Amino acid sequence: MTTPPGLTAAVFDDALREIRAAVGDEWVFTTPADTALYRDAYSLFWDEPEERLASAAVAPATVEQVQAVTRACNARGVPLYPISTGRNLGYGGSAPAYSGSVVLDLKRMDRVIEVDERNGSCIVEPGVSYFDMYRHLQSRGSRLWIDVPDPGWGSMIGNALDFGGGYTANPYRNHFEAHCGMEVVLADGEILRTGMGALPGAQTWQQYRYGFGPYLDGLFKQSTLGITTKMGFWLFPQPEAYFTASINLPRYDDLPMLVDTIGELENANIFNGMPGISSPVLFRGGKNPLDFPEIPEGAEMDRLARETGLPCWSARLTFYGPEQVIRAQWAYAKSRFPTASFTEHALVKLPLSPADMERIHKPSFGIPSLEMFAMGARSAHNPNPTDGHFWFSPIIPRTGEGFIAANRIIRQTCQRLDIPVLLFSPPVSSWWRAFILVMAIPVHKDPARNQHLRAAVKELIRVCADHGWGEYRTAPAFHDAVMDTYSYNNHIVRRVNERIKDALDPNGILSVGRYGVWPKRLREQGGRK
Amino acid sequence: MSHTPLLTHRRAVLKGGALGLIPALSSAPAWAAIAPGVLIDAHVIDRRVWPGALPRSDAPVLPFDGDITALWYHRLDPRWRRPGFVLGGITGADTLFVLEQLARTRHRAVVSRRPLSAGATQWVIAPAHPSIAG
Ligand SMILES: Cc1cc2nc3c(=O)[nH]c(=O)nc-3n(C[C@H](O)[C@H](O)[C@H](O)COP(=O)(O)OP(=O)(O)OC[C@H]3O[C@@H](n4cnc5c(N)ncnc54)[C@H](O)[C@@H]3O)c2cc1C
Repeated sequence: MTTPPGLTAAVFDDALREIRAAVGDEWVFTTPADTALYRDAYSLFWDEPEERLASAAVAPATVEQVQAVTRACNARGVPLYPISTGRNLGYGGSAPAYSGSVVLDLKRMDRVIEVDERNGSCIVEPGVSYFDMYRHLQSRGSRLWIDVPDPGWGSMIGNALDFGGGYTANPYRNHFEAHCGMEVVLADGEILRTGMGALPGAQTWQQYRYGFGPYLDGLFKQSTLGITTKMGFWLFPQPEAYFTASINLPRYDDLPMLVDTIGELENANIFNGMPGISSPVLFRGGKNPLDFPEIPEGAEMDRLARETGLPCWSARLTFYGPEQVIRAQWAYAKSRFPTASFTEHALVKLPLSPADMERIHKPSFGIPSLEMFAMGARSAHNPNPTDGHFWFSPIIPRTGEGFIAANRIIRQTCQRLDIPVLLFSPPVSSWWRAFILVMAIPVHKDPARNQHLRAAVKELIRVCADHGWGEYRTAPAFHDAVMDTYSYNNHIVRRVNERIKDALDPNGILSVGRYGVWPKRLREQGGRK
Repeated sequence: MSHTPLLTHRRAVLKGGALGLIPALSSAPAWAAIAPGVLIDAHVIDRRVWPGALPRSDAPVLPFDGDITALWYHRLDPRWRRPGFVLGGITGADTLFVLEQLARTRHRAVVSRRPLSAGATQWVIAPAHPSIAG
């Protein structure tokens, strides 16, 4: 068993004794074999001294047990790292951000506390996975949908807290945005309920998010300030139909107008699904649509388009709603593009028929799946699968010009810095009104390759920041580097976060170092990596 | 306290024996030496990596084709929520990775893994915590 940094073995033993008394001996894990289960399978530090490893893990079953564990740790300065289902692969897995932390594994707290069909909402505990919730809704014949990320094995709470996203309609696909009300255990063991949850007897906890006074929930997004033990979510009433169609525009110069107009249509609620930008001419010949090549100069792209007869750009709109309404919305959308051609892809009536179930992208219908893991498998097309990947996901301007600039500069920088790219997405609108680019970069179990990658990606982060593009979420290896780029007014964002951290968690025990926020004692020791 | 791998009652046999029970596959089918119905409660076989003959076994043999989601959701997870149940399988390393993560949520662990022909791994997942001892 390792001891957290800065603690004596005796103090740590004493903390574990108190924790065992609270949760039961069999739910405290200290052997190397047990703590190894919390290694980040996609770690960028695999087998290096800097790899972030747990000293122990604890799996409480109730809020009271969470409070007891937190108090035991707070009294002795034991770092504690809460996870829900710990499937944050590509962003840190189930490993702590600070080596030596005790992982607080909340998977046993897996109750669906309530589903309110009339309000279209639920309250869940952290261990409730998307699959669990789907099973719960299906078994009760519910007409509500969840919104799921690509892998459905994560938890509704863990994913939302790390600011994850899915694929269905606005606002459900932004999982933090779709939450309403939280219960959080603070570092001193006190329980906070946000929004209307602060009013005893209120029946509106999952209806009105904001309660009274400052809105506190944002403090717990990508946070080091609390352990979320309950969260309410709004659920999507199953629509009558799903429809997707593309608007195709012939010329390179059409992109800014295309992006602006679909933005306006989306902001006016003419369509509610996630829009997608593609380039038929660049993806000709069946190229992987998730691997956007570097966009050539305008004249070259127009020449290719003329020669192939393919449009330079296409925007796919997705609609969820009654068929009649969707048809009218699509007719209106088409009327806004007089020079375009159109392709109608699919109208799917809901609930899904068994045949439709086999051919759809399940997450677009709120159905959890693990299919993408079978796609990355070793095959004739993919003879050397990697040891995992991490995600690089900058927010870029939601304009045609912004996308072209980001695509070119990031592609060229990756090439210059020898950063391999498994996947380079088109601009993605998981978050309403914003574009992100999502790149998957392979990691290896080879320290030399990972060291090169870490240095190169830090440089890529700086290049992006120089252009005003900042990551919305990142792997722990880059938390500090990304936080460094949010530097307006001498890093006031980080400094305010630190002030709040010091006030709410003065002993600096919770989620140490996560998202580049370090507690006072480690800042003073130069502990920031 | 160590729980990995911890198999209890009749499964305890497997803890020491799993590696020895599953032979290398140079000459025999992978499942040939798994005593039928004694230790393994079901086998999952990915036809994509193991297109050959399926085991003749008293325990159910559950074939699938690349994507484990439906088989896990409908058959394995409901069973994994109850105590006991030792699962054997031949899959790619990718599917084993997925199953290993899912098994962990239900307090189970891979207690044996053996690479076979290119792309295929033979493995056993068993209870790894007293709360689900069979
Ligand atoms: C192939 C692939 C595809 C992916 N696609 C997507 C996608 O489409 N969308 C997406 O969002 N992600 C995606 N991911 C990333 C990731 O797998 C998911 O976001 C996953 O849901 C996160 O894991 P989790 O839900 O188990 O959260 P956890 O790992 O439990 O939590 C994430 C982090 O949040 C914090 N946290 C968790 N629970 C608590 C709590 N109760 N209190 C305080 N802090 C807490 C911890 O710091 C933790 O490390 C993908 C990953 C892979 C490998």
